Amino acid sequence: MTIQLEFERPDRERALDKLRAPLLALWRDLAGLYGLLRQTLRCCLAKRPDRQAFFEQAYAVGNGSVLFVSVTMTVVGMITVMQSGVQTQRVLPELSLLGANIIQILAREFAPTVCALMLATRVGAGIAAEIGSMVVTDQVDALRMSAADPVDYLVVPRFLACVVMTTALTYWSLFISLVAGTVAANLIFDLNVNTFVNFSLVGAGDFVVMTLKGLMYGAAIPIVSAQRGLTTFGGSEGVGWATTNAVVHSSLAIIMLDLVLSIVGYIVFPPV
Amino acid sequence: MPIHFRNLQKRFGEKHVLRGVDIEVQNGECFFVIGASGVGKSVLIKHLVGLLRPDAGDIFLDGEEVSRLSETALYPVRKKCAMVFQNSTLFDSMSCVENVALPLRMHKGLTLEAALIEAEQRLEQVHMSEFARAFPPELGDGMRKRVAIARALTLDPQYVLFDEPTTSLDPISARRVDKLIYELSRSYGVTSIVVSHDLTSIFTIADRIAMLYQGHVRMVGTPDDFRRTPDPIIQQFITGQAEGPMEV
Repeated sequence: MTIQLEFERPDRERALDKLRAPLLALWRDLAGLYGLLRQTLRCCLAKRPDRQAFFEQAYAVGNGSVLFVSVTMTVVGMITVMQSGVQTQRVLPELSLLGANIIQILAREFAPTVCALMLATRVGAGIAAEIGSMVVTDQVDALRMSAADPVDYLVVPRFLACVVMTTALTYWSLFISLVAGTVAANLIFDLNVNTFVNFSLVGAGDFVVMTLKGLMYGAAIPIVSAQRGLTTFGGSEGVGWATTNAVVHSSLAIIMLDLVLSIVGYIVFPPV
Repeated sequence: MPIHFRNLQKRFGEKHVLRGVDIEVQNGECFFVIGASGVGKSVLIKHLVGLLRPDAGDIFLDGEEVSRLSETALYPVRKKCAMVFQNSTLFDSMSCVENVALPLRMHKGLTLEAALIEAEQRLEQVHMSEFARAFPPELGDGMRKRVAIARALTLDPQYVLFDEPTTSLDPISARRVDKLIYELSRSYGVTSIVVSHDLTSIFTIADRIAMLYQGHVRMVGTPDDFRRTPDPIIQQFITGQAEGPMEV
């Protein structure tokens, strides 16, 4: 038995190493994200952000994404109404509270989360690609040589723009999906506007949860994407990987935040 | 000794790039670092201004150990030791004059207007004032390199690091850049460390040369020392022979 263990030990150590390596990588990753978030917040508080850079980024994030988000939320709004209506009719033939329920679910869940996932693909990829390209072409080093802090110069304007515009687009998403849902309800289930647009089940807590999600997702997308960009290495192939990772990891961050914020929201602001 | 790398070691993952490099650079000299691609020449000079941190060893600049300074503490080091990067690294979103004005605003704290006026004067020195309002993508490689040099010189540094300054330039632009580096050293007493493969530059303007090979310094000497050395590896490199003992 002892001899067997002697032989088994290296295998077990190798297996442990295989387990340890991704865990260490995850830990380093999370530490990097936390460090970047802390540094970004410190820069935001330390001095007034560059207004021009903020507005340029806000335009790129917000205006550049309006059409993309609008199309997506129109489809989401219509499909949600159609599916919910069909399923409700299996239990009850009455749809007068369909709108009230859907507005709540749109506000708490679909408007902020789907909108943020769309922004993660468009904005997150852009941030990672732009910063990653600057890293591999030494432009970030040139910034450091000019005494310009890359976090202050590159991350802060994108962070602030994303926080503000993701929250704004979350409200826009709710509006668009509600309009699309109203049209779908009218066409499919013959519900008139007054019956469908019913806020009786929607409370202030729903809007608090929605706003909180918009703010948190808006912070997560640029931090995850910028961190991927700043740690790019290996030329154009590295930029490609950084961009892919930015989209995947920002989306994952949004899903994880959604879980946490939904649970917290359910406890602190229970649905009406 | 104004610049001294002592037993510098740097590893990137499995690759041990610098395995104990010792180099001393004297005041006002034009010092070239040569070696095959990927041998760690750029890595070496990036350590001097804290863009990379060594795994082991020390770096002294004017007697001060700089390799363990914080990012903020490195600002004065970067003010007196400028760097011209291989790809010019101008910011595409800024005009040439704004690129040159950036270090003036950040290091010296000048207002935008004052920085732009001074930046225009710097562009004149490299004969690029007529392109002050142009954006980097509108310029050729040689012009971008000259703007990058203007940006590096804008703070009147005592030391300038050039990372392959003549790469991708036509021969005339390359010689103009060589002339600029030489004048900096001779007229203004600036100490230059130049990373280069350009044999014409090396044997025209270098005061001394260090060759890196397999993570170590193979030889330090004047251009004549290099021409005369019987070392087959150095001879293969400076004569540009494809066949020989050198492992690339």
